Amino acid sequence: MTLVMEGRSEGAMREAGYRYVGHSPDRQEALEKVTGRARYVHDMELPGMLYAKMLHSPYAHAEILSLDVSEAKALPGVKAVLTGRELPYLLGLYMVDKPILAQHKVRYQGEPVAAVAAVDTRTAAKALSLIKVEYQPLPAVLSVEEALTGGVLVHEDINTLDYVKGVFFPQPNSNIASWHKTIKGDIQKGFAQAELTIENEWRLPQVAHVPLETHVVIVQADPYSPKVKIWSSSQSPFAVRNLLAKAFGISRGDITVVVPYIGGGFGGKAGIHLEPLGVVLSRVCQGRPVKIQATREEEFNQLPTREGLRGRVKTGVTKDGKIVAEEIYFDWDGGAYADYSVNVGRAAGYAGAGPYEIPNIELHSRTLYTNKVFGTAYRGFGHLETHWVIERQMDLAAQALEMDPYEFRMKNLLREGATTITGEKITAHSGCVDQCLEAVAKEIAWTGYQSAAEREKAFKTGKVRGKGLAVLHKAPAMPPNTSTSAIMQMDEDGTVRLLLGAIDMGQGAYTTMAQIAAEVLDMPLEKVKVIWENDTDKNPYDWQTVASKYTFMGGNAVIRCAQDLLRQMKEVAACVLRCPVDELTHGNERIRHIQHQDKAIAFKDLALGYAYQNGTGIGGPLIGRGVYMAEGLTNLDPATGQGLPALDWTYGAHGAEIEIDVETGEIHVLKIASAFDVGQVINRKLAVGQVVGGVIQGLGSALIEGYKYSPEGRLLNPSFTDNKIPTAKDIPDRVVPIFIENPQRDGPFGARGVGEHPMISVPSVLANAVYDALGVNFYELPLSPERIVSGLARQKE
Amino acid sequence: MDSDFLYIKPPSLSDLLNHLESWGEKSKVLAGGTDLLVLLRRHDLSPSYVVDIKGIEELQRLEEVEGGDIFLGAGLTVNEAAHSGLVQKRYKALADAANKLASYQLRNRATVVGNICNASPGADLAGPLLVFDAKVQIVSTQGKREVLLQDFFTGVKKTILRPQELLYGLTLPAVTAGERSIYLKLARIKGHDLGIVGVAGRLDSRKKFHLAMSSVAPTPLRLTRLEALLNGSSRSAELPDQAAEAVQEEIRPISDVRASAAYRQHMAGVLVKRVVQYLVQEGGE
Amino acid sequence: MCAEHEHKAAQTYQDSGLPRVLLNCTVNGENVSQWIDPTMSLLHFLRHELNLLGTKEGCGEGECGACTIIFNGRAVNSCLVLAQEAEGSRILTVEGLGQEGQLSILQQEFIKEDALQCGFCTPGMLMSARALLDRNPEPEEEEIKEAIAGNLCRCTGYYPIIEAIKKASEREKEASQR
Repeated sequence: MTLVMEGRSEGAMREAGYRYVGHSPDRQEALEKVTGRARYVHDMELPGMLYAKMLHSPYAHAEILSLDVSEAKALPGVKAVLTGRELPYLLGLYMVDKPILAQHKVRYQGEPVAAVAAVDTRTAAKALSLIKVEYQPLPAVLSVEEALTGGVLVHEDINTLDYVKGVFFPQPNSNIASWHKTIKGDIQKGFAQAELTIENEWRLPQVAHVPLETHVVIVQADPYSPKVKIWSSSQSPFAVRNLLAKAFGISRGDITVVVPYIGGGFGGKAGIHLEPLGVVLSRVCQGRPVKIQATREEEFNQLPTREGLRGRVKTGVTKDGKIVAEEIYFDWDGGAYADYSVNVGRAAGYAGAGPYEIPNIELHSRTLYTNKVFGTAYRGFGHLETHWVIERQMDLAAQALEMDPYEFRMKNLLREGATTITGEKITAHSGCVDQCLEAVAKEIAWTGYQSAAEREKAFKTGKVRGKGLAVLHKAPAMPPNTSTSAIMQMDEDGTVRLLLGAIDMGQGAYTTMAQIAAEVLDMPLEKVKVIWENDTDKNPYDWQTVASKYTFMGGNAVIRCAQDLLRQMKEVAACVLRCPVDELTHGNERIRHIQHQDKAIAFKDLALGYAYQNGTGIGGPLIGRGVYMAEGLTNLDPATGQGLPALDWTYGAHGAEIEIDVETGEIHVLKIASAFDVGQVINRKLAVGQVVGGVIQGLGSALIEGYKYSPEGRLLNPSFTDNKIPTAKDIPDRVVPIFIENPQRDGPFGARGVGEHPMISVPSVLANAVYDALGVNFYELPLSPERIVSGLARQKE
Repeated sequence: MDSDFLYIKPPSLSDLLNHLESWGEKSKVLAGGTDLLVLLRRHDLSPSYVVDIKGIEELQRLEEVEGGDIFLGAGLTVNEAAHSGLVQKRYKALADAANKLASYQLRNRATVVGNICNASPGADLAGPLLVFDAKVQIVSTQGKREVLLQDFFTGVKKTILRPQELLYGLTLPAVTAGERSIYLKLARIKGHDLGIVGVAGRLDSRKKFHLAMSSVAPTPLRLTRLEALLNGSSRSAELPDQAAEAVQEEIRPISDVRASAAYRQHMAGVLVKRVVQYLVQEGGE
Repeated sequence: MCAEHEHKAAQTYQDSGLPRVLLNCTVNGENVSQWIDPTMSLLHFLRHELNLLGTKEGCGEGECGACTIIFNGRAVNSCLVLAQEAEGSRILTVEGLGQEGQLSILQQEFIKEDALQCGFCTPGMLMSARALLDRNPEPEEEEIKEAIAGNLCRCTGYYPIIEAIKKASEREKEASQR
C-alpha cells in the first residue's frame, strides 16, 4: 500500500518548461541531518560556559510576599542569582506587559520568579532548592467567562501599559488585551433578510507546539559595553535583535543573534523568549556565556502555547442557501501575557469568517488575559482555531437548511469579483477555493451526508463510517510594510553563495530558494549554496520566518537578486564582447550574444571581474542584491477593520473519511485528501512534506491534544506522559496531497505559501465526518474517544 | 542524573542479597531502569546505592520448570517475554500485554518483574499475570518466600516487598491445551501510552473464567466476583453483556488527567464484554 | 560552526563529585576506555564525554525517542541507561551508520524520501529503523510503525519515514542477494 500519493497537481503543468521549479531535488542540508552532524544550540558548548535554571511559580496568580536568595547565592559554584526585583524591564511584541522574571506577583503557574547561573546544571538545580519564596495566593482567572467579567484583573496596570497604538486596542480596567472589530455592510438589515439563523458556540483548548528541540539559548554579554552575542533556537533572529534593543535601550549594532540548525519551531520560537534572561545573567557573570535550555516540562508550562478559544457565531441565511449576515465573537484565552495572541486576535478579525462572501458582518475578536500559560503564534496563527468555529458552523447551517454542505459552501465561497470582509476584491489571480473543494470532494467520492436510516443500520455493526468536507484560507499575518532581502556572491569557479535572512527550520526554505536562484541563473543547482547558520551581523535582513510568507517574499527577493547578478555580468560582458547589453542573454553558465552564440563568456570568468588576456581587468567581484517589500497593503481601519491585510491568500480544502468504534469512541481516520491552490509548486517533495506533516499536526489538535488545568490553575499535563502527540501508529491510512496551480501574478513563478495551511480545518473536517457517521454534532476539541462516547450517551437520552 | 549514588553490579545473588541486607532502604534495585532512572533524574528518589541485577545469570532465565510451570527471572525484559515462543503459545494474554506496553525501545529495557514491582494501578502486565495465577518468588538473606501475585500489591505503588528483599522471579503455573486468553487495552492514543483501562481474560481447559483489570482500582485487580458469576452461569449468548454489567459493581475507578471515572467505568464494561466474547468464541482465532 | 568549542570542559557538566569510575565499551566499532562520573546517563556519556552529539535529548524520560541508540544489538533510550551499565557493551550511534564516508542505504533513503525536516528526531529515528531492519529485514508496514512509535516526530507526519524504511528494506535485500 502506498501511504502517500505523490502530491499531484491539477491544472496546467507549467513546470514542464522549468529546469528546477516544480521538481523534487533533495533538501540542501539532508546529509548533515542523517549523519548526526547538524549542530543545534542544544549541542553547543562554549569555553567557560555557565548553566542557568529557573524557579517557577506553583500558583496561577499570587502576590510575591518575600523572596530570599541568600542561601542560593552562597552555594559554591553559583555565579548569579536574579529575581524580578533586579530586572525592572517589561517586554512585549505588541503589548509591553511581560517582565523577564516575575515582579511583585506571578500570573501563571510555571512563570519564572528567579534564575540561577552556575558552573553546572546540578549546582544550579541545588541552588534553586535553596531559594525561599513566600506567596499570597490570589483568585485566578481561568476561563474566558471569568476574564470577561473583569472581577479579577490579571494586569492591574493595564491602563498604563505601553502598546502599539492604532493596531491593538486594550480596554481600560479589564482583562481585554485587545478588542479588534470588523464591520462591513449593515448587520441588522442582513439578519432582517435572513430566513433562517443558526447560532452556536464552539471551543478548543490551548495546545502545545512540541518542537523536539526545546527552547534553548546561549548568551554572552560583554560586561564593559552593551555588546551581546546570542545563539538561539529561534525563528526570528532579527526580531530578537530588535526587541532586545528596545527593551534594554541599546543599539541594534551591539547585538548579534546567531541561529544554527533549529529543531522545530511551529511559531513557538518566533518572537523573543529566553534571550533577555540570558543577557542579564551573562552580564552579572562578567560576560561568561550562559546557556538556558528549557526542560520538556518548561516547554509545556513556562514557554508559550497556542491560545484557547471560545467562538460564538450567528449566521443568517436565505432558504436557497446564501449567507446574508453573520455576527461572530471570538474570545481568546490568551493567558498571562499578550505576546502574539493580540495579533492572532487581529488576524482572526480579517480572516476569521472563512473564505466566504458575507455582505453584512460584525466580527469581534477579543484577546483576553487569563492566569494560564501565555499564548503565542502557532502554525496557522489563529486559523486552525477560527476555522474550527466557522467550518463547523457552515456544516450546521447546511444541516439547518437540509442542504448538502458541499452545495452550501459552493454557493458562498469567495470567487473572482467577490469582496472579503475587509473590502478586498478577489481577482482571477487570487486562487480558487472552489477548485480545492471540488478536488477533495472528488477524491473522497463525496455524495452528501448519509441518511438517518443508513446511519442507524451501520450503528448496529459497531463501526460507523462518515465523510466530511471543510475549506480554509490564510494570508500571511504581518505588518503591511514587511520586507526581506537576499545577497548573492559568485566564486571564481562559478559557484554562487546565497545569503538569506530567513531561517530554515526544516520547512525547506533554503532548498526552494536555491532552486529559484538556479532557475533564474539557469545554472546547476549543485553550484548554488545557501549559507547555513543565520547571523544578524552577516546575513541580510528578514522580518522573521513565520506566516507562510517566505516562499513568496524570499522567492521574489531571490529572483531580483539573481537578476541583479545577471545584469552585472552582462554589463561587463557587453564591454568584453563589444555589444549592447540588451543583445546579451544567458544560459549554460554563460553570458552569450542572442544571435552569435559563440560570442560568450563563462560566469566563472566574470565572478571576480573579467581579466583580459594581457592581464587588464574590468568589473569586480559579483555581489547581487535583491529585496522584496510587501506591496499595496494597508493598516486596518481601527473602527471597522476595513483595509488590505493580505499579501496573498492561499486557499485550501480537506476531505476526510473516518470510521468510529461506537463503543469505545475511537476514531480511525481512513483518509484525508488535502488540496491547496499554491499557484506553483516550487519543490514537490518538500511541498508534500508540508502538507502531510501539517495534516498530522492538525490531527493532533483534532483528536488528541490540549492543556488540562486543575481548578486552581495548575497545568495537569506538562509532560509527554500526559500531553500526547500523534505517533507513527496514530496516522490515517492515507493522506492525499493535491496541488491546484492557479498562478499568483506577483508570486515567484506564480507561487504562494503553504507552510501553515495544511493543519487548518483538519479538526473541523474530522468533526464534520463525525457528524456524518453518528448524526451527532461536537462543539469542543479534542474529539477524544471519551468525548465521542459521552456525546453518544447524551444523544441517547 | 541529579541524584548522587553509587552503582553496584554484584556478580552473584548472595552478594546482591548481602548488599540489600546491609543497606536496606538506602539501596534501590536496578533492572531495566525505565522507571528508576526517571525518578533519579527528577530527584524524586535519592538512594545511596543503585544495585544492578543484570550481572546475575540466573535472573535472566525464562524456562520451563518442573510440572510444566514457567519461570520468568527478574532480569527478563518485556520484549524477551513478548518474543518467547513459550509465552506466545501458552500465555497469550501476557504476550498481548507485553506488546502493548510503552514503546519498542522501552520494552527492550523494561522488565516484566519491574512492571510488577512498580505496582502502578495501570501496570499492563499485572492483569495477565493475575489470570494465570502467577506467584512471585521473593528472596533475601533470610531465605525464600513465595506468594500469590494478587497478595503482592498493597496499594498505589505499594507492595509487600521489603527493602532487604529482591523479587527473584515469577512462576506461571502450567496451562493445558485448549486454553484461551487475551489482553485488551484502551489508551488515549494508539502509540506509546499508558492504559486508561486494561482487561485480561483467560478461559482454562475446565472452562473456568479468570479475569483481571488494571487502572480501575488502587491496585491491579482480580475480578473474583465476576469470575464466580460467570463460572456459575450457563453459557448463553447474553454472557458477554452480563459480564459487562456485572463488572461495574466490582471496580472503583477514579477520575484523573487521563480519563474520567465514568468513561473508565463504561470502557471496563466494553472491554470485559469483548474479552468474554473472545474467550467463548468457538474454533479459536 | 562552533567546532572549535566542542572539545570543552565536559568535566563540569552534571558532575556529582563522587569518585570517577572507569568505563570500557565499544562505540561505533572503537574501543573506549574512560573515567566517568558514576551517576552519568549513557546519553550524557555519548554526548559530553565522547562528543557524539548526533544523539539528542528531547525529554530525558524515555518518552520521545530522540536519544535512541543501538545497545548490544537492541534499540534503547540512552537517557534511561546509566553509563556504567554500558560496561563491556557494544554501542552504535548515528555517527556509526555510514562507513568510510559512504552513507548507508537507510540514510540514503531517508534523504531520497525526505524523511526528515528539522532533523532533531532523525538520529533516533534512524537507529530505531536500523535495529528493526537488523532483526527483521523485511518488515510489514505495521511492524515499521510499531518499531518507530516510540520516536516522536512533529514535522513529517511519519509517512516519508515509513516509506524510507520500506525502500531501505528492499534495497538492502537486493544488495544482500548480489
